[in-house]
Amino acid sequence: MKQLKRILHVEDVPSIQVVTRIALEKIGGFEVLSCPSGQAALEQVQAFAPDLILLDVMLPQMDGIELVRQLGQLIDLQQIPVVFLTGHLQPERLHELRQLGVRQVLSKPFDPLQLAAQLQQVWEAEHG
Amino acid sequence: MELPQANPASTLPMTPVRELSRLAALLRYEILDTPEESAFDDFTELAARLCETPIALISLVDDRRQWFKSRVGLEVSETPREISFCTYTILGEEIFEVPDALQDPRFCHNPLVVGDPHIRFYAGTPLTSPDGYNLGTLCVIDREPRRLSAEQRDTLERLGRQVIRLFEQHLLAHRYAEQAALQQAMLDSASSAVLVTRPDGVVTSVNPTAERMLGHSEQELVGHQLTSALFRREALQRRATLLANELQTPIEPDFAVLTAPLHRGRREMSEWRLRHRSGADVPVLVGVTAIHDEQEELRGYLVNAYDLAYQEQLQLRLQQIAAQVPGMLFQFHWRPDGASCFPYVSEGVEQIYGLSPGQLAGSFAPIIARVYALDRSALLGSIREAAAELAPWHIEHRVEHPRKGLIWVEARATPLQQVDGSVLWHGFVTDITVRKAEQLELERQQEMNRRLLEALSEAVIACDADGCLTLFNEKAKQWHGTDVAPVPPDEWPTRYQLYHPDGVTPLRPEEIPLLRALHGEHVCDHEMVLLGQGEPRHVLSNADPLYTSDGQPMGAVAVLHDITERKRIERLQREFISTVSHELRTPLTSITGALGLICSNVMGEVPEAMHELLDIAQQNSQRLNALIDDLLDMDKLHAGKMRFALLRQPLQPQLELALRSNRNYAEQHGVVLQLGACPAVTVEIDAMRLQQVLSNLLSNAAKFSPAGEQVELSATLSDGRVRISVRDRGPGISADFRERVFQKFAQADSSDSRQQGGTGLGLAISKELIERMGGQIGFESEPGHGACFWFELPSEGLAKESP
Repeated sequence: MKQLKRILHVEDVPSIQVVTRIALEKIGGFEVLSCPSGQAALEQVQAFAPDLILLDVMLPQMDGIELVRQLGQLIDLQQIPVVFLTGHLQPERLHELRQLGVRQVLSKPFDPLQLAAQLQQVWEAEHG
Repeated sequence: MELPQANPASTLPMTPVRELSRLAALLRYEILDTPEESAFDDFTELAARLCETPIALISLVDDRRQWFKSRVGLEVSETPREISFCTYTILGEEIFEVPDALQDPRFCHNPLVVGDPHIRFYAGTPLTSPDGYNLGTLCVIDREPRRLSAEQRDTLERLGRQVIRLFEQHLLAHRYAEQAALQQAMLDSASSAVLVTRPDGVVTSVNPTAERMLGHSEQELVGHQLTSALFRREALQRRATLLANELQTPIEPDFAVLTAPLHRGRREMSEWRLRHRSGADVPVLVGVTAIHDEQEELRGYLVNAYDLAYQEQLQLRLQQIAAQVPGMLFQFHWRPDGASCFPYVSEGVEQIYGLSPGQLAGSFAPIIARVYALDRSALLGSIREAAAELAPWHIEHRVEHPRKGLIWVEARATPLQQVDGSVLWHGFVTDITVRKAEQLELERQQEMNRRLLEALSEAVIACDADGCLTLFNEKAKQWHGTDVAPVPPDEWPTRYQLYHPDGVTPLRPEEIPLLRALHGEHVCDHEMVLLGQGEPRHVLSNADPLYTSDGQPMGAVAVLHDITERKRIERLQREFISTVSHELRTPLTSITGALGLICSNVMGEVPEAMHELLDIAQQNSQRLNALIDDLLDMDKLHAGKMRFALLRQPLQPQLELALRSNRNYAEQHGVVLQLGACPAVTVEIDAMRLQQVLSNLLSNAAKFSPAGEQVELSATLSDGRVRISVRDRGPGISADFRERVFQKFAQADSSDSRQQGGTGLGLAISKELIERMGGQIGFESEPGHGACFWFELPSEGLAKESP
């Protein structure tokens, strides 16, 4: 089974970005590319070739959902699970996300100590 | 019918013309068949002597006979008309003379000629009435043929005329006698006392009523001076003085007092008290009439006295009644020329105007003088107006009473038009000073209440027992954008723009606080929205039924308090808290996350010396997170944005999960969580929200339990509902905190927050959550004996759900 290795992380708040990245790197041992915006993610996703994408819904300029749509045109999201990390999401939007192929929605505030394990679960559910 | 035995063919006398009228004239004298009278006999005697005949007659001829009023020398009193000589006499104007009846073909066979009394000579002069009818004759008869001398004829004619005069006198006397009898009868039966006097006042006759009324017999009075016999000297004196003033001439206090006005052409009645024989007074009304003869010569006086005792009794009765009436009764006579008087005033006039009835005998002026100056013209105006319209008169005015000071009186009267154009009023006047003072005080209070209502910042609305709006104060008009209108309660929501707090749903009539109060309900702080001014105005309404002092429903009142501004501030507060909470969340997530990473040693071993400080930082960042979670939950609940994913599921696993989730926290407080009985039921819940509630209750219980104690979570079933209880053995809930347990930021002691942790929102949120899931929350506690928080949810047996 393919190991979960590379995670594309989109988060505009620097402090959250840092805490998240450190948690994933130090606890999960993943390779993490943090992008501050959807635009940056779209530019780097192909070069980085992530195994999983973790992103926030509330992003400047382009929100997380729009980003997922556009990512879907660049990479095969059937192969690369998308996980949202968000504090405010209404149920009807959750439904929308599922139709886009989003695997999991984790709520903010998240526990950084649990995050790596949660993503590993998503990965294993996908590839186990 | 006695027909004479004569030969009628040649001797039948003719009938006078106008015979019927003649007979009527004859009858008018009422002399036929009356007894003999010497006055008439004198004439027949004279006629017989002067004419030197043995027989003389006064003969009256009616329809069938001649009847002799007087006769000399003849025994019969009448003879049939057919054989009478006089029948011929009355046909002419002059003396009818028959010198020798045996030689006269008209009489030669007459039984009176051929038989007794053997008349040979007849001469008669007609008795002609002043109106020209020959009633009969004065005739002389002899048994020898002869002729009257010219002198004798003349004498006979003169005597005839005298006889007619005697007839006239006879008639007149008869008439006089009749009239006198009639007058006597009238006098005798008169209900008033009648006394007739000579011009000098000496009594000449007295009727029986006078005798009865005065106790004197006629004999006792006749021949005495009327005034000295029956009138009191003082009264005569008083009246004389009064009259002397009035007539501007000295009047003696005697009979002149009664007659003086008469001589001035005034026929008046005056009241007197006459002396009864017993010494008592007899109240009478006296009228005097002069008696003149045909020559306008004064013959005496007729004095009429009407008994006033009955009227006096009535008057007394009226006085007694009047004395029972508060205020005064009066009869007021008002003439178009402005002259006025009081025919009657009760003693109460003292109470009203400080006057005695006597002071008002002549004039209205004393009353006007007592009327408060500013009220006079209105009073006089109202009298004139009521007199003109003959409408019931009613006026309130002030009186300057000499004893009581300024008082208010109320006058009412009914005017009656008299035939002479004057107006007679019957009415009463009462002192209404006290009532007026009360009325003024009431008006003052009402005015104050009105101003108070207008000054209020609340809207006040009232309706009567029939649900008719009776009061909108200024604010009520302003807020509803309209004044009270006569519309039925069904139309109030649209008419007055009444809405639910959402500002969209119109209130149903049965939800209107005022109407609920009208049905006896006590409505407290009912929130609603008024759109009368366009902008929604949020109000809290308190409404209560109103009752009369004897407990009858008399309507309802509602007071609306404007909370629009408070709502706006609350909304701003909520928005602020919501914004701040959201803004805090992100940095707090970073802090909590960073601390978590450090404390978990993933960044390398944390030096021992830092552990304590890092633990403090971590715990407090977690507390902050919990607070923000609660604040945001509260905000969602308020805004109605909290979503519930209701799902029917077994209860027991939820309780077990809650126990597991909170075990660590309890252990930190040295408390053991235990699961007690739990029936096999399902509940329809949002599991996450149920866990939130259980977590709040369990953590509270653990927090307040002494170390080493147990907290028990259990469920019982009753009546289709399941009650989940969390029982602790802590200090319990103090009495003064009970009311506020489920309020926001409520904590038994402000220091609790620091000592025990917690946001003060847990129970408030739990209450909201349970209620949104169709349940109820509550607690039981005795201070010192722990507390038991519970909530109930509708439940169903497990077997039914999963057979």
